[in-house]
Amino acid sequence: MAKKAKIYTYSIINSASADFVDKVPYVVAILEDPAGKKFASFIEGYKEGLNVEIGMDVELVKEDEAGRAIYKFN
Amino acid sequence: MRGVSIIGIGETKMGKLPDKSLRDLIREAGSKAIADAGIEKERIQAVFVSNFNSSYLCYQSHIGPMVTEVLGLENVPAIRTEGACASGSLAFRQGYLAVASGMYDMVLVGGVEKMTHRATEEVTTGIASASDYELEASLGVTFPSVFAMIANRYFYEYRNVREEMALCAVSNHNNAVLNPDAQMQKAVTVEQVKNGFPVAYPLTVFDCSLVTDGAAFLVLTTTDIAKQISKKRVVEVMGLGHGGDTLTAATKKSLTTFAATRQAAEQAYKMAGVTPADIDLAEVHDCFTITQIINIEDLGFFPKGKGGDAVAEGKITLHGSKPINTSGGLKAKGHPIGATGISQIYEIVTQLRGEAGPRQVKKAEIGLTHNLGGTAATCTVNIFRGL
Repeated sequence: MAKKAKIYTYSIINSASADFVDKVPYVVAILEDPAGKKFASFIEGYKEGLNVEIGMDVELVKEDEAGRAIYKFN
Repeated sequence: MRGVSIIGIGETKMGKLPDKSLRDLIREAGSKAIADAGIEKERIQAVFVSNFNSSYLCYQSHIGPMVTEVLGLENVPAIRTEGACASGSLAFRQGYLAVASGMYDMVLVGGVEKMTHRATEEVTTGIASASDYELEASLGVTFPSVFAMIANRYFYEYRNVREEMALCAVSNHNNAVLNPDAQMQKAVTVEQVKNGFPVAYPLTVFDCSLVTDGAAFLVLTTTDIAKQISKKRVVEVMGLGHGGDTLTAATKKSLTTFAATRQAAEQAYKMAGVTPADIDLAEVHDCFTITQIINIEDLGFFPKGKGGDAVAEGKITLHGSKPINTSGGLKAKGHPIGATGISQIYEIVTQLRGEAGPRQVKKAEIGLTHNLGGTAATCTVNIFRGL
């Protein structure tokens, strides 16, 4: 996974599925890495009022064996 | 291939129906469709029934034989179809192919879903299975958030249509007020939609389709038989299409035009020999308000990026130049997922028969249904005409 990626599109979630109800509000996004590859990700560090925009840079926090990546706001 | 027509339609009222089981919903809608066709039920040779999520929400799979048992169709073979929110129209498509091919002369197609008895987060979990669990849902991506991401991308690539999205909800609710089967027979305002609970920014709860219990069924036969036995206006299938795309949102070439819709529409228009301008009215898959705007562009009713303008100009309202979702749509009639694709056809047949009462459109000769599954991964488009 790329260390840095850009937000291709995003949403701020207030109504979550059973496993995520304690995390709201949180941000999910489709990210684009420097090679142009797009993938879904959870973006850590959202606080109410933070201005999220398409094109913003985010940084890799961790990835798991299934290739799922968690990123964070700069 | 033989011509195929619809001779019977039946549906339940859509809504929160705690006293009605899956069996009750099937019995009511299935019996109505058979009675409406004016046939002995013994003439039905096969059943194609759709259900999306009862294996999770109701611990019930194998819906096919449930339908035949409940309706007293002895030794009639039955198949269940599943394609997320497009499950219903897949059942219709299989029924169509079975009759058109000569395999059967008369079949029952339908759909059923029961959802409202479960808590919101459980329903959200169930619906999220229409996306990819490992690559999306397990990261916290909900289904509304997928379409919220699509909306934000649409705003970026074209323009902000927040206002026009709200107008789609207003228009669909206005139509639902005139539909006794609708779940929400209640008008909403643009301000209410914009200020609703922010389920997944920029979507509020009023941008989202409803969680609904309900069922809908249809009787299909050959157009030749339909002309002989039907006492009502025969509604023939002119053309149909089935398009596909990747399961996950991130892998699609575009998030602001749906390849599966364009593919299904192209097939359906070609087979029917008509153009988008020939369609008098359409039920399009408004799972979210942004989807309605994208759909009316992808179906060729309005140019790409101009769907919002058409909505703002009132073109899609009941008495506009292209009435959309005269039933109230998924937004206000309801979205009983497995039944939705069938319920859309129910509305078009009702309109083509001239039986839509206060919501009847003036010119109803050719109608279209558009049903979308998952993140626009499955799409069917059907075009009908009254004979």
